[in-house]
Amino acid sequence: MSELKTTSLYEFHLNKNSKMIDFAGWSMPFSYDGTLKEHNYVRQSAGYFDVSHMGRLRLSYSQIEDINYLICSELNELDNTKALYSIFTSDTGTAIDDVIFWKFEDDLILICNASNTSKIKNHLDTNSINYEDLTDETDLIAVQGNKAISIIEEMMVIPNKFSTSKDSKYIYARTGYTGEDGVEVMLDQKDTLKFIQQLEAKGVMPCGLGSRDTLRLEASLPLYGFELTDDITPVEAGLKWTLSNKSDYMGKSVIEEQINSKQHKYLKRFKLNAKQIARTGTVCKAGNINGIVTSGNISPILGYPIGFAMFETNPSDNLVEFDIRGNLIEGNLLDKRFLS
Amino acid sequence: MSETKYLETHEWYIVDGDNFTVGISDFAQGELGDIVFITLPEVGQEFNKGDAIVEVEATKTVAEAYAPMNCVITEVNSNLEAEPELINNDPVGDGWMVKAQIKEMDDSGMTYQEYESFIS
Repeated sequence: MSELKTTSLYEFHLNKNSKMIDFAGWSMPFSYDGTLKEHNYVRQSAGYFDVSHMGRLRLSYSQIEDINYLICSELNELDNTKALYSIFTSDTGTAIDDVIFWKFEDDLILICNASNTSKIKNHLDTNSINYEDLTDETDLIAVQGNKAISIIEEMMVIPNKFSTSKDSKYIYARTGYTGEDGVEVMLDQKDTLKFIQQLEAKGVMPCGLGSRDTLRLEASLPLYGFELTDDITPVEAGLKWTLSNKSDYMGKSVIEEQINSKQHKYLKRFKLNAKQIARTGTVCKAGNINGIVTSGNISPILGYPIGFAMFETNPSDNLVEFDIRGNLIEGNLLDKRFLS
Repeated sequence: MSETKYLETHEWYIVDGDNFTVGISDFAQGELGDIVFITLPEVGQEFNKGDAIVEVEATKTVAEAYAPMNCVITEVNSNLEAEPELINNDPVGDGWMVKAQIKEMDDSGMTYQEYESFIS
């Protein structure tokens, strides 16, 4: 096995006694103070995450129409200085990766999942799209939380929601993966420690990937490898809202066929009427429709277990039974997001 | 009361006459992260050494604690039902899990020093 990659903050994390985990070939902080505490820092105040393992590619603006063909959302007609969540689709409509684009006047920054950086680079190569890989020379810090904006506005000009900005030090956008307001900031590695010290001086707490996962799940956000894979389309993952691409794009015919026929897998949110957690891989049944849990954990805010499950077809019954280590546990499918 | 012993599966136990108390080690709670739910056995249930007696749900994963010897459960720490975080905060004290009557003594666990070198 090859050696794990580390971010420029690796020593910093160790000095903070972070529990480290192996994630997508990187040694990353799992938690510092405990996942539940960190979850609550973000919901109640603000936390920062080192997410420098995520891939960061700079793309020239001139290639935008070619890039637009590879994703299911409308990037071409998006205003400059906007951020866009989208999905690279295969020719069968399945997800190659879900990504964020930061659109500027002169270029685009593409942020992809760490587990998919090589795959996305190969995909861009195959489609003759040039990029500059910034992953190893920059860091990416997410500052997220109920009070994140009021704290960080002392450090940078805050763009509108889902908009981008840059100054002499930071390239950033008002985006995130926690369900709270905040910014994600790309910066030169020599500036990262100072940036973090400024955040900490303002009471922003360090948070690890453990709370990032409970926060994103509670915010009903998908995670690639779980809710989205090479075998799942945006329609199946319940992400029809991302299908804003006005032109032709890769896999479009399959995706439109799924929308019309409604014959496809369905990702559903669920809650459990018990304390046990239905974890990834747990089998379940809604009526006579089989499903499998893609992600599950406790919702620290709601106080009960929640998750996503993928069903073979659309269940008509919202009562669902989970086989948790041999015990049948009841739950309900939810139409609405976990947090209102 | 004899000295606290540890198992390779990260339980601690302490023998007191015909009975013992069992829980999970500080190392184990640290590895599990925040414990959010625990399934305790019933008083009177019988277990053989190595049987799963307690199920521990944490945000990171689920784990089981195993019986250190053949036994009958005599008491469970019902405080853990409302406050499972006691296991994180005080794993070898207030976070104890069950007490049991020994059916067949097996005091072969590691001393703390032995366990320390086992986990390091």
